[in-house]
Amino acid sequence: MNQIRKKRLYNILLVSLFSVSGISLILYSLNSNLDYFFTPTELKEQNISSDKRIKIGGMVLEGSVFRNDSNISFTVTDYESFVKVEFKGIVPDLFQEGSGVVALGYLNDEVFYAEEVLAKHDENYMPPNIEINNDS
Amino acid sequence: MIVEISHFLALLATGLFFLVGCFSFIRSGNIYISNLISRTYSHAFLLLLTSFTIYVWLAITDNFSVAYIASHSNSDLPTFYKISSIWSAHEGSMFLWILFLAAWGFLFNRSVDNEVALKPLSIGIISIVLVGFLSFLLLTSNPFETILPFGPPNGADINPVLQDPALAIHPPTLYLGYVGFVIPFACALAFLINGNTEIKWEELVRKWSVSAWIFLTLGITLGSWWAYYELGWGGYWFWDPVENVALMPWLAATAFLHSISVSVKSSNLRIWTILLSISVFSLSLFGAFIVRSGIIDSVHSFANDPQRGLYLLAFIGTIIFTSMILFVIRLPMIRSAGSIKAFSKESFISINNILFGSLVFSIMLGVTYPLVYEFLFDQKISVGAPFYNAIFIPIVVIASIFLFFSIDSKWQRTVKMKFFAGPTSFSVILAVISVVLCIYFFNTESFTIIASLFAGFLIIHRYIIEIASSIFSKKYINPFSVLAHFSLGLLIVSIAFNSMLSTERAINIKINESESYMDLNIFFKDISLVNKSNHDAIKANFRIEDSFSNSFTLSPEKRKYFTRGQITTETAIYVTPLRDIYLTIGDQLEDGSWIVNIQINYLIRWIWISAVFMSFAGLMLIFSKQRQKI
Repeated sequence: MNQIRKKRLYNILLVSLFSVSGISLILYSLNSNLDYFFTPTELKEQNISSDKRIKIGGMVLEGSVFRNDSNISFTVTDYESFVKVEFKGIVPDLFQEGSGVVALGYLNDEVFYAEEVLAKHDENYMPPNIEINNDS
Repeated sequence: MIVEISHFLALLATGLFFLVGCFSFIRSGNIYISNLISRTYSHAFLLLLTSFTIYVWLAITDNFSVAYIASHSNSDLPTFYKISSIWSAHEGSMFLWILFLAAWGFLFNRSVDNEVALKPLSIGIISIVLVGFLSFLLLTSNPFETILPFGPPNGADINPVLQDPALAIHPPTLYLGYVGFVIPFACALAFLINGNTEIKWEELVRKWSVSAWIFLTLGITLGSWWAYYELGWGGYWFWDPVENVALMPWLAATAFLHSISVSVKSSNLRIWTILLSISVFSLSLFGAFIVRSGIIDSVHSFANDPQRGLYLLAFIGTIIFTSMILFVIRLPMIRSAGSIKAFSKESFISINNILFGSLVFSIMLGVTYPLVYEFLFDQKISVGAPFYNAIFIPIVVIASIFLFFSIDSKWQRTVKMKFFAGPTSFSVILAVISVVLCIYFFNTESFTIIASLFAGFLIIHRYIIEIASSIFSKKYINPFSVLAHFSLGLLIVSIAFNSMLSTERAINIKINESESYMDLNIFFKDISLVNKSNHDAIKANFRIEDSFSNSFTLSPEKRKYFTRGQITTETAIYVTPLRDIYLTIGDQLEDGSWIVNIQINYLIRWIWISAVFMSFAGLMLIFSKQRQKI
């Protein structure tokens, strides 16, 4: 192999080494920062460790909202299973009983401690994976 | 009847743009053909402009027989919002987007001489892009559709969160930025097709690229500012997919402007410059696809319609694929003969290209990964702020350090780095002192914040020394570069301080009671019902006193709009140079007290001010170039 080719080979190896390590670093941090989304039923079926940040979504069960100081607790349901949610702070304008909600936080002993509660900015919003038969 | 005229003019314009596209591929170099292309394009644009003007007129005069106007405007709205209602939803905003695209082409067409070799082909490429988007508009999302035989007596009203001056000008500004990059894109493609490497296409497009970049910067800043005061969450950036698709072209465009400054001087980094010019416009188109196809859930996303998504995907895919093929075919031709010297300005700029490229790649991954993952594994996931912070903070810190060392470097030659010489070591010492003071006063232990502060201060101090030496010893500095990079330092420091110091708390408070939070004393004076023409509001009045015994009143509101029954929160903000006191009101509890959220946001104004400074640097660059030419 002549000198120029050797040099070129080294360059290519060096560049690919850098890009592979760069991309794997990015992928690694992507993988450790993903938030998985669950409905209450999926939450019951799967075992989720309490230090994994997750998102849950469903409807706020009628009559389940209780406020105590600036804490609020409510039950999220997909009309099959139920999850109790605790949250401290102001819930969004569109948060109300019987409408859709998405919460981000940690599940501990079957209670979901939310860090963030979102209601969709749309009157017709339905959280994903929930289909309700309107006729029934 | 009038709407049909508007519709017809748009159709006619599409036809003419199509003709321009066809003509431009006749490679005769004949000046008559070039003149014909130029003139036809101008006429087509004027037809489109007339069509849009008529449409605006229809909106102002409350012509609710037009379906789009009926569902997004209302006769009670002030004229200003009647006009802005045009770009409050998909069809109308797409129309504006296309008009702006054509307008950039028109201005380019007017200011560049017909004898310039790349011009006819560039105009042709712009026309082809226009034909694609106009057909998309007219076939899948027609804003001219009418309600027959009679329209409703009144319109459905614009979404109240969009009835806001910042939001009325945010989309147009952003669109002007997005589509402005069609000019470097079209010229780069024309350059590749033409195949003559002697042509300096970079000179032709530099001014245009900077102009588009200014609009993009201002558009993103306006959106961030609007979200801060209107949505009531208090932040300036949420890593929402739609924010991300605006940030990607901005990052690519910033890298492009750096890269082109090299390619203008010598033909080095030409591959990078062409690749970036294609990427910027492709990313703008990708943004249009993400927002308009409805494949993501977002505050911004328009209603979904699979047909639109498919058309856009096919058209945008074709544009990107064709330009990439062309790029690969011509790759051997544009490879530059000269190599880049170590530690020259060019070498630093190519490092900058790589770092910005990594940022764009990471955001792209964050935006698309959840879509792919859900498709493959049927499991919804989302990528939030922690991922982007983990990527952005280290890369921005590294980029800042390279920037710091690049200041002493020279074009096209190696200058021995003097690590221990005056300005370099002096600014390192100043930065270390500043960071130590911050740690001492604010007790921060977060490594990422300390690293960001160090990077930011390093840039700021270095440029202050640079400015001082230009004043006292008449050293030449490039004013645009100094202002833009100084603003970057300011931006980094403001963001770091903001995330280090800002706090918030939700408190329960009754009327005539007071609470204290941090150094503030909050007194709840009263609450009143306000009746306005289009909404009812609950308005709470708080008297707040800070530790400097300044006292002021803040009145957050909760509004209920009549036409849509929508409830919105109006924040109340007390602005000082160093911090904002930000108040929102929540629900009333059973014991009669109200939940009030109070935030203290430090240096948040400086984040937007830095961005405005950056665009000002761009503005200076444009006008200085013009003066030199004259």
